Amino acid sequence: MEQKAHQFNPGNQRWLQVLGISMPLCLSYLPIGVACGILLHAAGMNFVLTFLISILVFSGGAQFILASLLVSDAPISSIFMTLFFLELRYALLGSSLSKYFRSSTQGFVLLFSASMNDENYAVNYLKFATDKKWTPRDALLVEHYSLISWAGGNLLGGLIGSAVTIDLEIVDFALTALFIYMIVMQMRSHLSLIICLTSAVLALFFLTLTKSTLGLIIATLIASLIGFAIENWARKHSKDPWVLKKLFRPAITRHTVEDRQLINEQAKQEQEAAAAEAAPLSQEDEEK
Amino acid sequence: MASLNLSVASLVPSHHNLTYHLIVILVAAVAAFLPRYFPMRFFTNRKIPEWFNEWMKYVPVSLFTALVVKALFVDSKYQLFFDHVSAFGSSLTIFGHASYLIAAVFVAIVAYFTRSMLSSVLVGLLAVWLLTFVL
Repeated sequence: MEQKAHQFNPGNQRWLQVLGISMPLCLSYLPIGVACGILLHAAGMNFVLTFLISILVFSGGAQFILASLLVSDAPISSIFMTLFFLELRYALLGSSLSKYFRSSTQGFVLLFSASMNDENYAVNYLKFATDKKWTPRDALLVEHYSLISWAGGNLLGGLIGSAVTIDLEIVDFALTALFIYMIVMQMRSHLSLIICLTSAVLALFFLTLTKSTLGLIIATLIASLIGFAIENWARKHSKDPWVLKKLFRPAITRHTVEDRQLINEQAKQEQEAAAAEAAPLSQEDEEK
Repeated sequence: MASLNLSVASLVPSHHNLTYHLIVILVAAVAAFLPRYFPMRFFTNRKIPEWFNEWMKYVPVSLFTALVVKALFVDSKYQLFFDHVSAFGSSLTIFGHASYLIAAVFVAIVAYFTRSMLSSVLVGLLAVWLLTFVL
């Protein structure tokens, strides 16, 4: 395996190594990018605009939603609010990566955060957590490789959009399928199932009440706050609360990145506890 | 071909021109950039408060559920959608888009067992396409 890698990359160039790491990501971005380009073309954008938006927004979910918002002629304020709340999850991703960028310049953080995305975040987070040699520069390279493949896919989709005839009722479901996939991936505990059901009921209520996409935002905020409150309450009242227990997962997929992170943290805490127990005397001396 | 192109063209509201699209792109870019940059910038030299992390953890699942519910159960006029299905010789009234509902179950099952985004979406599209012949 290493010999083969050496054949492809005789000078052991870093950019080629990083390209190898981001290749699976780039390959899976291409077809989704093409689908997104076709959808945006159907919503009235030409291929130049599709290309532009794929670079500036660089988010599959947001671009798919934008296509359906354009078709349903949503007002600009509603477009902004929907996208803003959809992208608000990046606040979490960005802040969880921020500890690796303590020594980077402001300009670098700006450049990095502008092209951060769910998938390249997953790759970078894993590399930062497991590979000591992984630098912010490598992480930025991963983002740019994935951006190139995403924008290329979008451009291609925008170009062939006029030649390909698609049944919009079927393609429209691609978006829903994508979100169902993301929900299933987020299902980790009983609590996430409860939040899911709460959000569903709230969304039905507020969508019919507000008659606009504002209902989505209200439902999201209330449901996530309820989840936050339940978790807080359960942690206070029980040591091993039922709502935070894991849902059953197929054996091959039982450990997600978050799980491994949790296991590492627990191991670290145990080590620290053991170290503290082993040297209680010296600590007491220091305190005196 | 021509008729299909017409049906596509009719989906685009008539007042959408280049200026409108450029404004939309600008708005979308700002909406995408703000939540990416500022929290990251803010937390590169501060500690993340626990409550913020805990709250943000549940935003994606809530939002995605709300979006799916909108697609499955609500029509374009924001009213609850009831589908009339005639299958096996009897006609039924179902809450939600019947073909989308069935396809959604397939997508969830495939996503659960394979964890592959591409195959989940493809199975979903295939299911909707096949169901157009049945329902």
